[in-house]
Amino acid sequence: MTTVAEPKAPRTSKIKNLPSPITGQELVLVGVIVILWAALAVSTPAFLTAGSIQPLLVATAPIALVGVGMTIVIITGGIDVSVGGAIMVCSVITAKTLVGSGVNLGVAVLISIIAGAVLGLVNGVLIAYGRVHAIIITFGTANLFMFLGLRIFGSGTVNGIPGTLGFFGRGPDGRTLGVPHAFLATVLITAAAWWYLRHTAGGRHFFAIGGDAQAARLAGVRVQRRVLLAYVITGVLVGLASCFVIAQGTSTLDQSVGSGKELAVIAAVVIGGTSIMGGRGSVLGTMLGALLVQTVSSGVTQLGWRSQLSDLFVGIFIIVAVGADLLRARARRNR
Amino acid sequence: MTVAEAPPKEKTDFVRLFLTQRIPLLAVLIVLVVVTFFINDAGGYLTAPYDFDYMSASLINAVPLAMLGLAEMLVILSGRGGIDLSVGAIVSLAGMVFGFAYGMWGWPLWLAIIATAAFGALCGAVNGFLVSYIGFPALIATLATFYAFKSLAIVINNQQPISTEPIQQLFSLSKSVEIPIIGQYIPDIPLGIFTFLLPTVVAVWLLMARTAYGRRLYAIGTNDVAARWSGLPVRDTRFKAYVYAGLISGLVAVVTVAQFASARPDAGVSGNGMALPAITIAVLGGVAITGGIGRVAGVVLATLLIVWLNAGILLAFVGNEGSQYQLLALGAVLVFAALLNGLTNRKYGGAQ
Repeated sequence: MTTVAEPKAPRTSKIKNLPSPITGQELVLVGVIVILWAALAVSTPAFLTAGSIQPLLVATAPIALVGVGMTIVIITGGIDVSVGGAIMVCSVITAKTLVGSGVNLGVAVLISIIAGAVLGLVNGVLIAYGRVHAIIITFGTANLFMFLGLRIFGSGTVNGIPGTLGFFGRGPDGRTLGVPHAFLATVLITAAAWWYLRHTAGGRHFFAIGGDAQAARLAGVRVQRRVLLAYVITGVLVGLASCFVIAQGTSTLDQSVGSGKELAVIAAVVIGGTSIMGGRGSVLGTMLGALLVQTVSSGVTQLGWRSQLSDLFVGIFIIVAVGADLLRARARRNR
Repeated sequence: MTVAEAPPKEKTDFVRLFLTQRIPLLAVLIVLVVVTFFINDAGGYLTAPYDFDYMSASLINAVPLAMLGLAEMLVILSGRGGIDLSVGAIVSLAGMVFGFAYGMWGWPLWLAIIATAAFGALCGAVNGFLVSYIGFPALIATLATFYAFKSLAIVINNQQPISTEPIQQLFSLSKSVEIPIIGQYIPDIPLGIFTFLLPTVVAVWLLMARTAYGRRLYAIGTNDVAARWSGLPVRDTRFKAYVYAGLISGLVAVVTVAQFASARPDAGVSGNGMALPAITIAVLGGVAITGGIGRVAGVVLATLLIVWLNAGILLAFVGNEGSQYQLLALGAVLVFAALLNGLTNRKYGGAQ
């Protein structure tokens, strides 16, 4: 009898240690998105057409992509409010390179990613080794990045950006079988991050750090290195997202690029059910959160309402999503 | 082991003083900034004279900055990750309310100001209710209300600013005046300093240093579990911190409307917004982001430092380069202050 039970024991415990692949919040989000799409399809016939859904997916991509990095950062108990400034720096560097030396797609993406990684490294080093609260440091670096971005801009805009990045853009070059490449890349990266966070030791360490950094250190996790890695990952994704941002725009890049994106990304992460206190969260939820936010802003425009109203809905979604989570946590405690 | 050995040298005492006491450090930095720009001015490197008149005139920028810095101080002091990202959005929305009340409905000025402050307090109460009674993390709750208030402020009057006759005449509130008796010996000082900033500073100082509420706020920020077991009304105290922050934001809305001579729907959120500089000022002024530590004097000195630094930078560069270098200065000063706080925590167990 015992010989039968023994080989089973580790397997059951392994399954128990892993959270379920999709959380209740994510199911609710899927439901809300489906209902919204259905409602929009009924009220505005133009909504459920390729011409409306494709731009929606393309616009979701950069927010969701940076959101993957932000999710990892927030899982470790940190936060990065400098991603807006970082997007500005990466996109202006890439745009100027495209205009100046006409590099090809691969080189442009590589330059953007390297720039993003360097900015992420700056944040990571200051936070992991300076041992300062992440929100303060990234508020500071947000200003520094914006300064850097504006200096590179010089005066005015970057004009005449060639269509090299059209592969990620809104146009017909940016789609395969009707699916925008930018969205496809985001889905693939989100899937990879989902697997990494759920099924590898390194990924689980992020959760351990967010749960209790001291306990994680005593359990043998190299806390500082993992934290540093979280910010570098965010930087790399910011680099790629900046390419999407350039591709979405016209041939002109103006100085407002990236402005306010940090709050949009954090909103997507929070709506997706990631706990701002660290230790809990999922990139799948972030993806759905970004999709929901973009659906709302797209829907508000198509219904002919004032586009600024979508911010009000974003605020309400944050309150409802986090409030539901708080109530569930309270119910768990009382049980 | 080394504690019992020879008494610490005088030099380390100085270092310790500057690291643990934020106020002397800020005072020295202010003197350093002012002297630097005076020397640059004397050398003719600036585009306009940097003198006491200019410094005094630039104080108009200190009014909203210091007031919102104090608002952030109150919520950050309350602990448990206290922060208020929505102050800028409250300024926008309350400013529109003031625009309606004073500029359109023709209310008397005092009533309009009271109504605006009360409306700001109501917005703060939403934050306080979510954070203190429901248990939202402050960052999330105020992020959500930031979006909501920002959106409402823009939608409420169809994106249009209100700049009717009475509002335009309010601009006189932000002009500089000569102080009676000693006025001829010192530069004219912006009126907003006396009508809004000083009363707020004194009120917050009295609240923090001379009332039981102030003691309670420090207590819950330091350790809210201990405070609860000591029988303090933790939720009520934290709730009120957000209400006061909203109240101050409402007053800032009036100042901002007067300064622009127009109630602009994006006054508090355009560009970088007002919350980010306010948080920077609070942290630079020695308010610990973990709560329970922070003083009014620190916030006021930090404001003076940033205002006079920014004023000098504006003269040191031509065109809009100056405003870019202001970003650099703000970011560098914030990172420096944060690293300093971290170092102080490790070496001396925290600033005071």
